[in-house]
Amino acid sequence: MTKKNILYIEDNPDNMLLVKRVLVAGGYNVLEAENGAQGLSVAENQDVDLILLDINLPDIDGYEVARRVRLNVKKALAYIPIIAITANALRGDAERALQAGCDVYMSKPINVHELRARVEAFLPSTK
Amino acid sequence: MRAKPATANDLISGEVSFVSLLECSGCGEKYSCDEIHTFCPNCQSPLLVRYDLEAVRKHVNRDAFRLRQGRMWRWHELLPVRDPGNFVFLGEGDTPLLHLPNLGNELGYPHLFVKDESLNPTGSFKARGLAAAVSKAKELGIKKVIIPTAGNAGGAMAAYAARAGIQALIYMPKDTPRSNIEESRIAGAEVVLVDGLISDAAGMAGEKARAEGWFDLSTFKEPYRTEGKKIMGYELAETFDWALPDVIIYPTGGGTGLVGMWKAFAELEALGWLNNTKRPRMVAVQAEGCAPVIKAFETGAAFCDFWTNAHTIASGLRVPKSFADVLILNDLRESKGIAVAVSDEAILEAQRQFGRMEGIFPAPEGAATLAALKTLVQQKWVHPEEHIVLFNTGLGLKYLDKMS
Repeated sequence: MTKKNILYIEDNPDNMLLVKRVLVAGGYNVLEAENGAQGLSVAENQDVDLILLDINLPDIDGYEVARRVRLNVKKALAYIPIIAITANALRGDAERALQAGCDVYMSKPINVHELRARVEAFLPSTK
Repeated sequence: MRAKPATANDLISGEVSFVSLLECSGCGEKYSCDEIHTFCPNCQSPLLVRYDLEAVRKHVNRDAFRLRQGRMWRWHELLPVRDPGNFVFLGEGDTPLLHLPNLGNELGYPHLFVKDESLNPTGSFKARGLAAAVSKAKELGIKKVIIPTAGNAGGAMAAYAARAGIQALIYMPKDTPRSNIEESRIAGAEVVLVDGLISDAAGMAGEKARAEGWFDLSTFKEPYRTEGKKIMGYELAETFDWALPDVIIYPTGGGTGLVGMWKAFAELEALGWLNNTKRPRMVAVQAEGCAPVIKAFETGAAFCDFWTNAHTIASGLRVPKSFADVLILNDLRESKGIAVAVSDEAILEAQRQFGRMEGIFPAPEGAATLAALKTLVQQKWVHPEEHIVLFNTGLGLKYLDKMS
């Protein structure tokens, strides 16, 4: 069975390493992007089944990335599951993430059991 | 004869602590309890403290505890601090279990009690967890501690840190009760007021901790606060003559007390100290305006969703998602318990009822447990012959500015 592609947009290498380890072990293929612009480019040009989105990115913030994903000319992106992950350092992060088009909001530190369960709820593991 | 001032390490002889290691609640990985740890680096779940219970069973007689001084620290073999010189003691623990005859009569439940945690130092149950955590921090050589708080945990951390000579930094929502802000400052802590909820304060404190090397005492992001809280479970067992009540109704924000007591009951069972092994049904009480545990419990979810637009007068219940949500949900389910949401109006009415009928002025979070009991009575989830314990987690006087 073909592996599902998960795009993780995250500028923190430690988080990237941790999440990648968990998802690869779960039978997923991970596409990496370290800023919002790069993430949007990957989403537009490759087959992506789910997006994990950090909110505090160095260029475009995660809310804007989510909005642009939802309004993208690539129509499939309107329905792609987006899980926002953030250290919620500002008031109302969760509310804003959901309003911007994210489906689920998770706060850091990322509990890997929860991450696995949340991803599997959208994309059953092929393992 | 003049009374001797109480110290926590009176009458200690033999082994001080039978602490053995830290164990991840998510993946089971083991860590040393003589090194500094926060949560599991592998799977980012809370760490729990484990003891050599076989050795405790061999060397400690449960009936000896009654004869000891030192309140919470009477149970030092089952607490994580190895050197009594590191106990940071302000008189925490041994709070009264009060019978509630008037409320009990009105509801038709004669065996109704309240464990009144407002008699702890700093006026709340947070003293227990922070006493344990700051004492262990002192033992591990930690020099500066940081905490995000809905209020009472900040006041407690400031007090224990002051006593231990440790620097304290506190992040709290700007609408936190004034008493919590002032008590923290009086104890020498630096207080940062945040335009947001405790989750926002947690994010900011976490960033500060990572950037400047503060040790983060956030709920379940270090292993030892639970240990102080668990002693509430030991005290209940001792007071009920080594049995346990049928139902415990507990206000649940971060969930340390609920998880801690359930851990205590498991330890007591393993130690063979209970006269019967029937455990209580645990009830988690939250506010209607912030009820992530109730939602997850009712939908059978393993995790809580982050609660958006959280609001309630009970600031300690305004926790959009606990870091220990999995543990809370597991313990509730294992105990065959339930989760109940109550309105702010019901909390305020219960607070007045507590005062009018029993002379107790509880914190809103404590009053919420009576409001929840009334719901459970209506649902016939509790029975008149059962022994039911409510938890008043703090002093109503600390919330005066929220009542006007």
